[in-house]
Amino acid sequence: MNRYLKLVNFEFNRFFKLYIVLVFVTIIMQIFAVILESRRYVREAEKIIYGEMMSKAVFFKNYEPFTMARIVQSNWFYWPIALCIVVLLIYVFFIWYRDWLGKNSFIYRLLMLPTARLNLYLAKATAILIFVFGLVALQFLLFPIEIQIMKWIVPAEFRVDLPMKEYTNFIYLSAILPGSIIDFFIFYGMGIVAVFVTFTAILFERCYRLKGIIFGGFYGLVSVGFFLTPLLIDSFLLKNYFFPVELFVMEVIAGTIVLIGAVWIGNYLLKYKIRV
Amino acid sequence: MNVKFNNRDPVYVQVVRYFKEQIAKGFFEPGQEIPSRRELAHRLKINPNTAQRAYKEMEELGLIFTEGNLPSRITKDEGVLKKVRKELIMEAVETFVYSVRTINVPLEEVLHIVKEYYERADYARGNTHD
Amino acid sequence: MKGLITQGGIPMIEVKNVTKKFGRKEVLKGVSFTAEKGQITCLIGINGVGKTTIMQAIMSLIPINSGEILIDGRKLTKDSYEKITFIPDTITMLPQMRIGDAFAFMADFYQSWNQKRAEELLEFFKLEETERISELSKGNTAKVNMLLGLALDVDYLLMDEPFSGIDIFSREEIANVFTSHLIEDRGVIITTHEINDIEHLIDKVVLIDNGVVLQEFNVEEVREKDGKSVMDVMREVYEK
Repeated sequence: MNRYLKLVNFEFNRFFKLYIVLVFVTIIMQIFAVILESRRYVREAEKIIYGEMMSKAVFFKNYEPFTMARIVQSNWFYWPIALCIVVLLIYVFFIWYRDWLGKNSFIYRLLMLPTARLNLYLAKATAILIFVFGLVALQFLLFPIEIQIMKWIVPAEFRVDLPMKEYTNFIYLSAILPGSIIDFFIFYGMGIVAVFVTFTAILFERCYRLKGIIFGGFYGLVSVGFFLTPLLIDSFLLKNYFFPVELFVMEVIAGTIVLIGAVWIGNYLLKYKIRV
Repeated sequence: MNVKFNNRDPVYVQVVRYFKEQIAKGFFEPGQEIPSRRELAHRLKINPNTAQRAYKEMEELGLIFTEGNLPSRITKDEGVLKKVRKELIMEAVETFVYSVRTINVPLEEVLHIVKEYYERADYARGNTHD
Repeated sequence: MKGLITQGGIPMIEVKNVTKKFGRKEVLKGVSFTAEKGQITCLIGINGVGKTTIMQAIMSLIPINSGEILIDGRKLTKDSYEKITFIPDTITMLPQMRIGDAFAFMADFYQSWNQKRAEELLEFFKLEETERISELSKGNTAKVNMLLGLALDVDYLLMDEPFSGIDIFSREEIANVFTSHLIEDRGVIITTHEINDIEHLIDKVVLIDNGVVLQEFNVEEVREKDGKSVMDVMREVYEK
């Protein structure tokens, strides 16, 4: 356990500098988005009301009030999120491949540590999860700050202060910040399983190189297929026989089996088949 | 210690020989402490197991002795020391005689040449050992 | 009985009939030899003959196709890495680390890490803990790499080409290391082409060619019995 934690700490520190950059970029760009969109709205409203001499009452009838929803759809707001997602997706692969890169034989050191090789696998997975949930937490922390800034710029009468569920309803946000706890678990649960399956697929490649890509790909498909089996059977064979709750439970079980499979196979590959 | 080892004779034999030479020349004094096998290996740049073997051999030959846990020392036994000197001299003599015998010169003349050369060399060195 | 030490109680590394294929290429075709603790065993063979592969196989860094490798009579486990270590010809630390960071890492993960010895060696090699690994010369990198292995209180050390590509002074320093207390009582396997530099330092030679062991012999024995140097034996064997 001890060495596992040390490895997690090690993996965390290796990526930390880049991670902090992502965090700062997100904060700065999102706040910029808030300020930009808020002031833009206020300017436009002022132009219409004072420029065209429209009364406020008429303005409110004809024009939409300002909400977080507007901000959240701004490019400046979601590009940093997209950036973070892309970087983390790449890092899911890079966290492994970086140990084999170039003249770097650090993989030798990792494989020669007096610890179960499974810990290497789990530590990298843990690090990825910490990074992902860290960013999610960051977003939750940013929202109240962003809302406050918005409130400073846009007068209350022009705003409608929506509950979070309402403004996180948009495509990309509803995925990363699902409305309900259940949806949150489903989405991130699947994400976690996906990370593990990807790790094991990567290990197939590292063990068998060219052939390994095929093995890994095949393994990935089998995992996805297995995972979808309850849903597919229910839809196509049984004509929607099961209740959603029952399907949910079956999916959780299927997901757990896939997860355990990924870890077991990953461990086997790391212990007996890996090559530097 | 600057010793050149060849690769064909067992190194431990060469080490023993080196010790004999140093003893005969008087550089290793009777009763003098010798380095540990580790230290010797390090100084001579040889494998410690070889140093160990050399010490074992020298112990058996009576060239060195060890009292309890103390470092080993060169023997104080005059008899052994004399034997070593004689052995090395005999070797040189054998080599010399072997090379010179085939040349057709009477023994007295050979000995005379040897004596002359020996004295000249002694003089050139200022009569000191190097 | 678990933990049986084989061969009458001599602790050693045993490589038994190991085969290894990379794709279709058979690199090891049944390699067998032993390397005893307290001895320096040298694997000799031309480049690409599989010496590095053998070491990687002993350390479980690559899988083998068949055969068995035992360390003190047992197969390698995760705890074995406190008893045996490998110094490959590339450095096993992140290049952006400082030497001090590398020490901290090793101390963190290995119980057998000897910090005092590490510092002693650092001084001996005339290096500082604040130096960054990526900024070291090739010779110094090799020294640090070696240090990381020597500062572990392990029973067995595997060194791959410790003399390759470094200048003659570094080579002398490294040869010094071999005759010092740092190597004493350990079992060492090295691979090298520079047989000249180290003929006096090794106990045993394992000649490898074409994926098999051509000859395995004790160096002093051969000198005593046949009056031959390692080079002589090599010449004979390769001429066959």
